Amino acid sequence: MSDIMVQAEGVHKRFGNIEVLKGVSMQVARGEVVCLLGASGSGKSTFLRCINHLEKIDAGRLLVDGQLVGYRQVGERLHELHDRDICRHRAEVGMVFQRFNLFGHMTALQNIIEAPVLVRKMPKAQATLRARELLARVGLADRGDAYPNQLSGGQQQRVAIARALAMSPKLMLFDEPTSALDPELVGEVLDVMKSLAREGMTMVVVTHEMGFAREVADRVVMMHQGRIIESAPPEQFFGAPQHERTRQFLSKIL
Amino acid sequence: MRPDDIQAIPARHPGRWIAAAAVFVLLIATAYSLTTNPRFEWSVVGEYFFSVRILHGLLLTLELTVISMAIGVVLGVLLAVMRLSHNPLVSGASWFYIWLFRGTPVLVQILFWFNITALYPNIGIGAFSFDANNLITPFVAAILALGLNEGAYMAEIVRAGILSVDEGQSEAGAALGMSRLQIMRRVVLPQAMRVIVPPTGNEAISMLKTTSLVSVIAVSDLLYSAQLIYSVNYRTIPLLLVASIWYLLVTTLLSIGQFYIERHFGRSATRGAQPTPLQRLLDRFMSARTSTRPNL
Repeated sequence: MSDIMVQAEGVHKRFGNIEVLKGVSMQVARGEVVCLLGASGSGKSTFLRCINHLEKIDAGRLLVDGQLVGYRQVGERLHELHDRDICRHRAEVGMVFQRFNLFGHMTALQNIIEAPVLVRKMPKAQATLRARELLARVGLADRGDAYPNQLSGGQQQRVAIARALAMSPKLMLFDEPTSALDPELVGEVLDVMKSLAREGMTMVVVTHEMGFAREVADRVVMMHQGRIIESAPPEQFFGAPQHERTRQFLSKIL
Repeated sequence: MRPDDIQAIPARHPGRWIAAAAVFVLLIATAYSLTTNPRFEWSVVGEYFFSVRILHGLLLTLELTVISMAIGVVLGVLLAVMRLSHNPLVSGASWFYIWLFRGTPVLVQILFWFNITALYPNIGIGAFSFDANNLITPFVAAILALGLNEGAYMAEIVRAGILSVDEGQSEAGAALGMSRLQIMRRVVLPQAMRVIVPPTGNEAISMLKTTSLVSVIAVSDLLYSAQLIYSVNYRTIPLLLVASIWYLLVTTLLSIGQFYIERHFGRSATRGAQPTPLQRLLDRFMSARTSTRPNL
């Protein structure tokens, strides 16, 4: 157990010749809620995806709960992890996507019990019981038998959060969880995320919801062109931004 | 109808009436020919329709279709997954297989498997060696040729299905810690089915008819049985009619089966189940009567 949940040191990521991350260094403490802000193309989503190894980093070091992501260090050398170990790592990190990505051929309940049964080998009855608790928790106790396309965007995203929580993750990643939602549905998803934050879940949230960042985040991080240019508690970040680019960004968005 | 509803004179469609009249005349002419031309010999058709040899042939045709399709589907899934592998040798092998089996006529492949004993008189290694002539009967040759050929076509259908599933689905599975195999089996393939099933139904129907090619290697399927009979009694047309009607009947059954399978896999994509053909027919009839449907 380490007090640092996420530790990034000079993380680089290239897609072909385009360098998307140009040395990202940051820490997320256990129980901390960090919001990543930045224009599209600033690399915030890519960085988030690196944390659970959906993208492989090209340089630097990235650790989650004291363990290297995707590699094992033997002496000075890094060894690529076997798929099995990568899966084990991902099972402990929950992720919520912009476009929900609920499994379309399964009901809400089936979506939630799938991974606990398949990956954690949890008995189905137990997984179902837990899934019902989680559905109640996100306010959808009566929609367990609905297919994703019978649910509104906000409901789908809440099911997606319940699905991630079913694996009892130690860290939750949110990739613009409300960007694909109608404005009046944003609140219900943010409420679930707020309650999660209050319970002490470690969260890294890529978002454009300034209200959420101001109210819930312990720290707000600004990314620009693949680098972190500012990192501060919300009062300071929104009240007295240091970097010129942050001021521009905030003036456009607030 | 409510008092405020519009009560307009319906638009006239003289073109439709002319077309309908032409079709009607053709129908009458066809029916007249079928019933009055004595060379159709409908009594002979009736006589042989349920004859034991024809029914045996039909059974063999069905066996060939089912077994070959089963081999084709299993092989197709395997080849499609191989084709999408990151290992160039694995995906290359799949590409080569598809290239080879799609690129040669299935009739040639049937003849090739039938004559495989000329190439490999013995099959196996050392003590576990068998005489190929005992192993590769004409029926086995037919199954091998049709199944392996079908695998190549099914591979492309399955691959298209896999590619049709949004990448976000695989990512969501990966983020939950599922392995690549688990994602394929539990997330991607079930959703690919919606794209895979309709062309697979086509393939099954096509396979039913392609099995008739095995008559060239003297496998007594439906067509070959009919041929054997008319080669003796010279009632060529009636016996070809017997075979054709059986092919049509089975094709119809397969189409109905296909509809219900599609409905099953489409249930999560459409809100509620699709109407059955009977329901649709009734709907159309009702809407034509009340003419609430806008003219498109």
